[in-house]
Amino acid sequence: MTNLVEVRGLVKTFKRRDGTEVRAVRGINLDIAQGEVFSLLGPNGAGKTTTISMISGLLSPTQGDATIGGFSITKQPMQAKKLLGVVPQEIALYPTLTARQNLDFFGKMAGLGGKELAKSVDEVLDFIDLKDRQNDRIDTFSGGMKRRVNIGVGLLHKPQLVYMDEPTVGIDPQSRRRILDTVVQLRDEYRMTVLYTTHLMEEAQELSNRVGIIDHGEIIALGTVGDLIQQIGEEDRLIFSVGEQDIDNGLLQQFEAIAGITKVTYQSRELNVAPGLEDSAELVIEKKSTGTMMAVRSGQVMDGEIVVYAKRGRKALPELLRLADDAGVNIFSVEVREPDLEAVFLHLTGRALRD
Amino acid sequence: MDKIVTIAINDLRVFLKDRSNIIFLTLVPLVMTFIIGYVNGGGFGGASSQLRVDLLDNDNSELSAQFIASLKEANSSLMLCPADNDENDGCNLGDNAGLTREQAEQRVRDGDTLALIEIPAGFGVAVESFQPVSLSYVSNEDFTAPGFIRQAVDAAALRVNGAIVAARVGTDVAGQIEGITLDAGGQADFTQQVYDRAAGIWAANPVSVAYELTAQQESSTGEINLQSGLAQSVPGMGSMFVMFTVFGGMTLLVIERKQWTLQRLVSLPVSRAQLIAGKILSRFLLGILQFAVVIAMGFLMGVNFGKDPLAFILIVLTYTLSITALSFALGTQLQNEEQASGLSLLLSLALAPLGGAWWPLDIVPEFMRTIGHISPVAWAMDGFNQLAFFQGGLGDVLLPVGVLLAMSVVFFAIAVSRFKYE
Ligand SMILES: Nc1ncnc2c1ncn2[C@@H]1O[C@H](COP(=O)(O)OP(=O)(O)OP(=O)(O)O)[C@@H](O)[C@H]1O
Ligand SMILES: [Mg+2]
Repeated sequence: MTNLVEVRGLVKTFKRRDGTEVRAVRGINLDIAQGEVFSLLGPNGAGKTTTISMISGLLSPTQGDATIGGFSITKQPMQAKKLLGVVPQEIALYPTLTARQNLDFFGKMAGLGGKELAKSVDEVLDFIDLKDRQNDRIDTFSGGMKRRVNIGVGLLHKPQLVYMDEPTVGIDPQSRRRILDTVVQLRDEYRMTVLYTTHLMEEAQELSNRVGIIDHGEIIALGTVGDLIQQIGEEDRLIFSVGEQDIDNGLLQQFEAIAGITKVTYQSRELNVAPGLEDSAELVIEKKSTGTMMAVRSGQVMDGEIVVYAKRGRKALPELLRLADDAGVNIFSVEVREPDLEAVFLHLTGRALRD
Repeated sequence: MDKIVTIAINDLRVFLKDRSNIIFLTLVPLVMTFIIGYVNGGGFGGASSQLRVDLLDNDNSELSAQFIASLKEANSSLMLCPADNDENDGCNLGDNAGLTREQAEQRVRDGDTLALIEIPAGFGVAVESFQPVSLSYVSNEDFTAPGFIRQAVDAAALRVNGAIVAARVGTDVAGQIEGITLDAGGQADFTQQVYDRAAGIWAANPVSVAYELTAQQESSTGEINLQSGLAQSVPGMGSMFVMFTVFGGMTLLVIERKQWTLQRLVSLPVSRAQLIAGKILSRFLLGILQFAVVIAMGFLMGVNFGKDPLAFILIVLTYTLSITALSFALGTQLQNEEQASGLSLLLSLALAPLGGAWWPLDIVPEFMRTIGHISPVAWAMDGFNQLAFFQGGLGDVLLPVGVLLAMSVVFFAIAVSRFKYE
């Protein structure tokens, strides 16, 4: 496979007003193959947008360079940009113009004109399924519809490389599903290469041929999802929801004694009542584990979770449930999590991907 | 080039989609122009489109009539009362149909008229016999007495003088010619003679103007013609609103950065030069549109902008260009909308009065007039006033036009060197 994108030693240092520096990107090397979906996965502030902004010519690199289809983004930006379709993290549209006016304008800017432009706009409107709303103003659209137009604009000139920066942020599950399907469709039907950034592990895991995990401006792991998980060993996590019950340390020790189990933790949260409300006898809150409403007291323990780390954890499940039953602990639900990118990130950084 | 125009058209479309922009483009200037025109003109004085001046002709000779005709030629907007009074009493004479000097002076003091010109009895005879004679010119020392009326009187006096000189020389020469045939040497001699004679008569300058100022009046309650105010306020407000609109463009650039459309444009195969040029073109066109709206209003109200549309358009174009360039020189560095709209307002409200958009620069002290000319508005107003009040043409506005062009070049150079997207 040939590389469509090659990133070499990319660095971006921002200067703050007070003179201090923010090293947002600290020397990134990447190759993205023709026809793959490559995800850049990292927490907020990791440097995803900054990296992408340099590749799309929005920011000039402090150091390093990247090529798209062999064209340097610093030396031949016009040629490089012709191959690139950008879907920014923000809704980059004119809110008072209609969907069609937006598509027309950006299409012209991408170098299309005449019949070709009209055809392209029609195709994109079909693709994003908004043909019947094409003459409505963007500011009358729902969040999901705006996102779709935002994506459509980036596809108008049939770019070889489509770059999408967290396109599912802040939208409903249904629209999100649709966008994820679109990404796969772009690769499989339209043979486009997609560079996708996200801080959502599930998305990276589902979509990507390969993933680069980025943290503090550096790629800390890179490969297929399988590769990355293998790196940390294959440990399942079993998550037991125990609600507001008090959990005895003895039970946890019993769990840990079972063969194949490496670690057991217990977490819960205590209900903290807003100042001034401490004296109210009872509060009604939503119970996370079941979604039902319940009455609680201030200081009460909530949403307890026992997390068991185990190789081939399913095997230990009956034994674990029996021990809990013996101890009189009610298990409201059990979730078995196979090793995932979340775990990879946790393993590499000691932090959760999401706070 | 295509992309530049496309960007500009798109910007205009976005701008005009916003209702508040349209109101600002039309309604606000309309109201402001009326208010400022009212203040400068001293009030609404009927529908007449003329500058009211009292003229007492105590001579009623052929020469005084000639002088009056010259005066009107020098400034066609003058309404000379009581002679030019119409059925609507545009002179606002009321019962004073037979206007006396005293009444006329009171009218000046009250702000009923802009000035009083009195031609003394015996003016014609004196001029013809070459006796020095003085016209009297009385005006208030405040802004209701614009310099242009005085200029018109001067010009008329000059013309009468010129006519006298020509007439005298002509008669003298004719007398000498009889029975004389000239050889080559005599011809030169003769020309010299004519010249000397003319210069001598000219130096005697039979008609002079004696200026008097009445004591300044606190409040001029009288009604002075609105039109004189409008001829000042329409271009003035036009100039100011062009600033509002064009400097407002600075906000748009910030908004575009915030709503990410600017970044999207940058990620497309559009060069930096095309992008800037497109943005500049759109602001420029908006500025022109704004000016056109105000001027169209002026036309509908019958304001006289002078007799040279080409010169007028040239000022509008170069002025708008300079403002556009200035907005880009400043606007590329702004961080947020508040900064942009703050600066836009501050600049417009500083440069407009400084440059004479609110009141004629004739009424401010000399040094203020000089300082005022750092404002492009001052140069534009110089040009407009030349056209509206002095019947100037293309040649009279070349200086302001040149200065405005030079300002544009400098501002653009600054803008291009500082434009950033980051
Ligand atoms: N213009 C700027 N000036 C100063 N610092 C900046 C600038 N842009 C980004 N940064 C900093 O650089 C770091 C990386 O930011 P970036 O936007 O690339 O993160 P991200 O991975 O895209 O995060 P998110 O998931 O929240 O979008 C952050 O610490 C951010 O504060
Ligand atoms: Mg980002």
